Amino acid sequence: MSDLDLASPAATTPSERRVALLALAWQAALPIALVVLLLGFAAVDSAVLTPGNLVNIMQQASYLALFAMAQTVVILTRGFDLALGPTVSMVSVGAALAMAVGVADGQEPGTVLLMGLAAGFALGAACGVFNGVVIAYLGVSPFVATLGSYNIAIGVATTISSGRPVQGVPDLFSWLLYGGNLFGVPAAIVITVIVGVALHLVLTRTVYGRALYIIGTNPRAATVAGLPVKRLLVATYVLCSTLAALGALMMTARTGSGEPNLGGSLSLQAIAAAVVGGTSLAGGRGGVGTAVVGALFVTILSNGMNLTRIDGYVQMVVLGAIVIAGVVLDRLRLERRG
Amino acid sequence: MDISVEPPRVAAAAPLLELKGISKRFTGVRALDHVDLDVRAGELHVLFGENGAGKSTLINVIAGTFPPDEGSFHFDGEEIRHLTPQRARAIGISPVFQEFSLVPSLTVEENLFLGREVSAGGVLRAGAMRKKARALIDELGFDLDPGRRVDDLSRAHQQMVEIAKALLGKVRLLILDEPTASLTERETGRLFELIAKLKAQGVGLIYVSHRMREIRALADRVTVLRDGRHIRTLDAARVTDGELVELMTGRRIDVLFPAIPHAPTEVAVDVEDLTLADGSVREVNFYARAGEITGIAGLVGCGKSELVRAIYGLEPIVGGTVRIEGTPYDAPAPRESLTRGVAYFPANRVAEGLALSRPIRENASMTALDLPAFARLGLLRQGSERGLVGRAMERLKLRPPNIERPAGALSGGNRQKVMLGRALTRELKVFLFDEPSVGIDVGAKLEVYEFMKQLVEAGAAVIVVSSELPEVLALSNRLYVMHHGRIATELTGTDKTEQNVLASFFKEHLATEAA
Repeated sequence: MSDLDLASPAATTPSERRVALLALAWQAALPIALVVLLLGFAAVDSAVLTPGNLVNIMQQASYLALFAMAQTVVILTRGFDLALGPTVSMVSVGAALAMAVGVADGQEPGTVLLMGLAAGFALGAACGVFNGVVIAYLGVSPFVATLGSYNIAIGVATTISSGRPVQGVPDLFSWLLYGGNLFGVPAAIVITVIVGVALHLVLTRTVYGRALYIIGTNPRAATVAGLPVKRLLVATYVLCSTLAALGALMMTARTGSGEPNLGGSLSLQAIAAAVVGGTSLAGGRGGVGTAVVGALFVTILSNGMNLTRIDGYVQMVVLGAIVIAGVVLDRLRLERRG
Repeated sequence: MDISVEPPRVAAAAPLLELKGISKRFTGVRALDHVDLDVRAGELHVLFGENGAGKSTLINVIAGTFPPDEGSFHFDGEEIRHLTPQRARAIGISPVFQEFSLVPSLTVEENLFLGREVSAGGVLRAGAMRKKARALIDELGFDLDPGRRVDDLSRAHQQMVEIAKALLGKVRLLILDEPTASLTERETGRLFELIAKLKAQGVGLIYVSHRMREIRALADRVTVLRDGRHIRTLDAARVTDGELVELMTGRRIDVLFPAIPHAPTEVAVDVEDLTLADGSVREVNFYARAGEITGIAGLVGCGKSELVRAIYGLEPIVGGTVRIEGTPYDAPAPRESLTRGVAYFPANRVAEGLALSRPIRENASMTALDLPAFARLGLLRQGSERGLVGRAMERLKLRPPNIERPAGALSGGNRQKVMLGRALTRELKVFLFDEPSVGIDVGAKLEVYEFMKQLVEAGAAVIVVSSELPEVLALSNRLYVMHHGRIATELTGTDKTEQNVLASFFKEHLATEAA
């Protein structure tokens, strides 16, 4: 992935080469850590390395990878989306309600499916527009803005669902986004791979992606260079929330109902995965690669800890420590770079 | 170098402050080169020199901000080593810098007592501090409310707080760096009375100013610095304004400027009664023609930079008109300016110009991503981009010529070349250069000037804003001098001299201050 490729072959001076080597070591460190982690857990419990468990890990990781990608695009602009979790909850109940209405109306299964997807993506996009406008045009910091929309989204999700799961998600919906498979590969993995490849192309091959990295690296310079910074920020929050909405629909398909608490602690988990993977909270560094690696790392760690029967609360301590370590490493890298 | 120190006055005691052979280097730049200075108790000693002459480095050394590399430092007859700002204050050296040291969110009195709060057993004695603050402010005759937050105050009032802060406690040597820059006539009068009182009490003063009238009114002696060197120390009563200006500017042979064949044609940019929202530019009229370099000179804060930034769309305009080739251009914005062929090259390339961790290629094409050569339907054409940027950087002699390196790995001169590369990636008619040679070495300077020459020859309108007088004088065909947000004068032909530019600063001062 070229967005991971911080150690460019372009380094020419000795000090640049040293920095490049360090960056390369960092990039190699995580995949190696992933393998070591897998082997370590396998030594404790051989069930870790069975094909069934590996596919299970991939499937689990695919949701987190989507959410980490969602966070990555906004983290690239020096922001983040604390409201991602509640957005997921809101999209889940919204889509389920829309499909329930369709079913009650006696609509065709295909129409019901489309109603669910449309409602979910529309709600997601609306969250993104809200966050983006408040941040870009009203100048509110991403922290405060998305903390506000965090509460708003929780309120909306709980109100429209009366705080109870929304039943009646049709089978076609569950099959398409969860139960189905392509040549034996589960739907969740297929969708995440397709979205990941598409997002990677957007980030590396389009004017929008280029502008995103420039804005994240130096927003002032982006403005002076005539890039439409505010519009791009809104578009980025919309992209983030739309990806979150996709993840929400997939999770709704898995549970078979619209869940007002579905998002739970996803906001922070997704930020954690992105940062652990090497996305810089200082902006301008990271991409699909860092999001996917981070999501895999976090998922394998919790999968392994589950299989080796490490207590759930101890797992939280480990995850928290890893996120802090990821941020510290990011800072060290930035300092070395000067 | 001609150094002549005035013979000491008959009654003069040992100087309060005595510096000998002070030198200070910053990475590659010799900011001070064996400078001598002595200040007597009860004397006001003016430091005089252009921007970059070493005045602020010198007062920072005296205030303990950083140590000198060599030289001796005596205060009150004692040799001083390892001076820190805290220690300097403790022995009575009190600086008032142009950059304020106030905490905006605290009140005036909290700022006055910052770090030396009056307390009893760890509890602040607010009443005692307020009384003391009140007494000091009354004594100074400043119109200040000690209970107000500093960020609610005007710049002039903040300046008063800064002066009050310097005078709280024991002061034996007071350093004032352009203290009247933001004061009104009345406040300046107060300050002068205060200075007289301090002198009578035997306090020594170092006073940095460009203003002739103040030097005339206050100075006992004047030390002229140029290029980090001590030029002369003179008795203020025995020197004329003309002599001072001549000593300050000297003869310069540091950079050879290319001969630019100006061939002005039609007006490319003109502004009429332009006024900016922050008041930094007021009712300015000016024009720049294609085929010539139009210079804008002026002291720091005179509005020259804001003027060109407003044309490009970086400063909000509240009144007046901007026209590009005669067509009114309402509410300028960077994107639209580029589309109309106007480019701006910022003075601060790190803050406003470059995305340092991104490759040179991306930095150079940043302003051209709307062109079909760089992207179609939102998709980048990276092959074409590499070719175009590669050729542009080749033409600008980027060393090493690798456009995939991060811009942050480059020297100041090469960074400016990356910025100039933007000029070669799209069709442009108007080039706004803001301090084009700040932070770059002499060789790169020459290349920048050469580039401007090529632009002018190709029929572009080039506007150069610069605080370096020799630069704007040599490059421009017509030179505007700005002062306090207005155009003070326009100089062309043989009138375009350093003396005339400086004279217009001072003339303007006299005109406004005498009013």
